[in-house]
Amino acid sequence: MKKRIFANIAAGITAAAMIAAVGSCGSGSQAETTAAAPEPAAADNSLQKVLDDKQLILGLDASFPPMGFTNDANEIVGFDIDVAQEVCDRMGVTLVKQPINWDNKEEDLNVGKIDCIWNGMSINDSRKQVMNLSDPYMNNEMIFTVPKDSGITSMDDLKGKTVGVQSGSSAEEILMASDIYADITVTALEDNVTLLNQMELGFSDAVFLDSVVANYLITENSKDYVILPGNLEAEEYAVGFRKNDQALRDEVQRILSEMKADGKLGEISTKWFGSDITTVK
Amino acid sequence: MTSEQIMTLFGLMLEYTVPTLKIFAFTLLYSIPLGMVVALLKMCRFKPVSWLTNIYILIMRGTPLLLQLIVAQYSVPYIIRSDICPQFLKDMLGGVDIRSDSYTFNMMLIAFVLNYAAYFAEIFRGGIESIPKGQYEAAGALGFSRLQTFFRIILPQVIKRVVPASSNEIITLVKDTSLASAIPYMEIMYIAKKQVPLYASLLPLFMAGAFYFVFATVLTALFSFIEKKLDYYR
Repeated sequence: MKKRIFANIAAGITAAAMIAAVGSCGSGSQAETTAAAPEPAAADNSLQKVLDDKQLILGLDASFPPMGFTNDANEIVGFDIDVAQEVCDRMGVTLVKQPINWDNKEEDLNVGKIDCIWNGMSINDSRKQVMNLSDPYMNNEMIFTVPKDSGITSMDDLKGKTVGVQSGSSAEEILMASDIYADITVTALEDNVTLLNQMELGFSDAVFLDSVVANYLITENSKDYVILPGNLEAEEYAVGFRKNDQALRDEVQRILSEMKADGKLGEISTKWFGSDITTVK
Repeated sequence: MTSEQIMTLFGLMLEYTVPTLKIFAFTLLYSIPLGMVVALLKMCRFKPVSWLTNIYILIMRGTPLLLQLIVAQYSVPYIIRSDICPQFLKDMLGGVDIRSDSYTFNMMLIAFVLNYAAYFAEIFRGGIESIPKGQYEAAGALGFSRLQTFFRIILPQVIKRVVPASSNEIITLVKDTSLASAIPYMEIMYIAKKQVPLYASLLPLFMAGAFYFVFATVLTALFSFIEKKLDYYR
């Protein structure tokens, strides 16, 4: 224990010395990791390592209800957490829920602080490139929500209005790539709840977000919001693993399919969403 | 939010004042002595030492603390992977478990300490340099050695002069501890941020603000008391 503290302190001193160097190191080492990738791929011990350590470290943002969020006792709960817990039980390992900063999730995965990202993460091209994604397990739509008495009833009414969106999310990417983007003013903020609050206070006219989140927040907090008919793009959620961790990814995927077949996945989905909305095959 | 929910949240936040105070206390414990050392290094007559110290202070004061906290977290894995890293260093750092909570805390603390030491160093240097040269000459004439002059004549006056500026820095630190929530490290601000989506309300953030306000008020009172106590020979 003492030795570890010493090592940490030593690490810190080196870190301090190299703090200037790391800035340039950041972009350089990213290239390194991809360059070094083929080597360990030959011997993929990712699954064995999880089984040996007897723990799967799940990285999540812990503020994305109902997929993975923090309850009033500061415990991390949600649909994804229940599913991951069942997967871990079947693998015979402990589930460790590690809150991470969502902006740095790829880094945390890369350096090995976590084993997977499992938090209602939408599939997109950039994530496909840097992660080894599982098969999609749920559909999600990107929708607009407005206050009930706003007078906005369709997506056409949004012209000239201000729309809030979560910064760094796939919702933001989709909105920016859409045709409607030229006609609206976009304000990007850190999380969906703040956006909805701002809409309520009149800072914006609508919020663009995941239907899963919108439905949960509206019913759970009995808010007077309306979801506009139609969506910009259907999305899918997946679990993200390190690029090389094929064995671990395949094992989790196999257990998910097994859970779908024996009805456990449907049971968890019913608990959170009222019906089985998972798309695992 | 109902009053019952507010009470639950209040209890939770009260519990997590401990980690906040832990960051605060440890940062002060290490950064004040380090700041004194850095101040002396900066005033070193051997110029290269003074220059290096200047570069350190420039980086620490010139970049956001939030960024320094993040860099510290990822430094160890990146140093191990880099090509220029010598083997003995790799072996030494290889034993560090980046998944442990103690790693997260220690690296965060290092960033806080290095950052605050730079600010304290400048405050202390200002204090030391504000003492007129004539006092050193007078002490020398009375037969005081250089060490005696510093510790018995200069330092007591420096302490009096640096208290107002230091209290400013210390009160800022109270609020800067909230940056740890971005790591993330579980303290008051982290709890507040994570409870926002649960209640779909911004009230948790305001409650966190109240906690910081209370700490800052207590410290303000404490420092005005200390300043009064030190207000002798005027």
